[in-house]
Amino acid sequence: MTTQQNVLDYATAIQAQLSAVANPVPVYANFNRNFASQPKFVTWQLRNVHQPVYTGQVQSIKGIDTPIFQASVFGQQMQDAFGIANTIIQALHGYSGQFGGSGGFDVSKIDINWLYNTYDDQVKLHQIILDCRMYIPC
Amino acid sequence: MALPNKVLPGFSAALWMQTGATPTALTVTQLSTWTAEVQNIVGTAAGGSGSAGEIVPVEGIPAFGQDDASANFGVAGSRQSDIIPTQSKPTSMTINAAWNPSDPALLLIRGDAYNGTIDRTYVISVYDGANVVAYAFNGRVGEFKIETATNAEAKCTFTIHPRGNQYGWSNNT
Repeated sequence: MTTQQNVLDYATAIQAQLSAVANPVPVYANFNRNFASQPKFVTWQLRNVHQPVYTGQVQSIKGIDTPIFQASVFGQQMQDAFGIANTIIQALHGYSGQFGGSGGFDVSKIDINWLYNTYDDQVKLHQIILDCRMYIPC
Repeated sequence: MALPNKVLPGFSAALWMQTGATPTALTVTQLSTWTAEVQNIVGTAAGGSGSAGEIVPVEGIPAFGQDDASANFGVAGSRQSDIIPTQSKPTSMTINAAWNPSDPALLLIRGDAYNGTIDRTYVISVYDGANVVAYAFNGRVGEFKIETATNAEAKCTFTIHPRGNQYGWSNNT
């Protein structure tokens, strides 16, 4: 018997946790409208929220959620971007415990997968894409 | 009301069990009686009352029914031999469930597995939203294992061995 988790709690906790880890680098959900003037920042997006549903009519028979938040690290300097990404990996890869501060929830583990780093010539920013999978007991 | 007369998806089946650490399993007659017997074990989500039963949070219902066994006989003067069904056992059900260490149903099953001789009535309900068909049987638990793969949720696996000739079909019509 498990409850369906609240995705608003996920979003609040991700913003809080990333902000704490990346501090003083600013963290935004989805998009930074001041991207042209800020030399480094982090954005995040949430995806793959899914608790498997098992047999029967009882709605609470579900498995655990393993959603992914994608953290995108931006920096005008490549070494800044790599430095921030390293900070996030050091702090969160394999992390187990309270996630998102006192208003957050417990994660059993966070598993970070560095997808790639790239450079956008139009916005003049290095980018590093990190997939962070959370294992959330419920 | 009529029996469900349609092809149903597999996940419309659910597994229910009697509550209580030392339950009194239903008699053979009761296993085929919906009203006030099987109905009490099936929960309200599947058309029952649930007053004496609870859901078992299983991932899926495995095959259930009767195993095969047969004997061959040579018949003089016939090209083909004859094959006769013989006594065979009910199908054992090996079941996976997401493991919640505090789930009351899984705790009872764990206790049954350690005991080995507790007879308990289980019910598989198949529900179309209005009507339900129930397969009730008495069984003992012969296995209880917990698997903790690191990249997935923890699972427990248990096997229910139905007692011979202790089953019944019923419905809510």
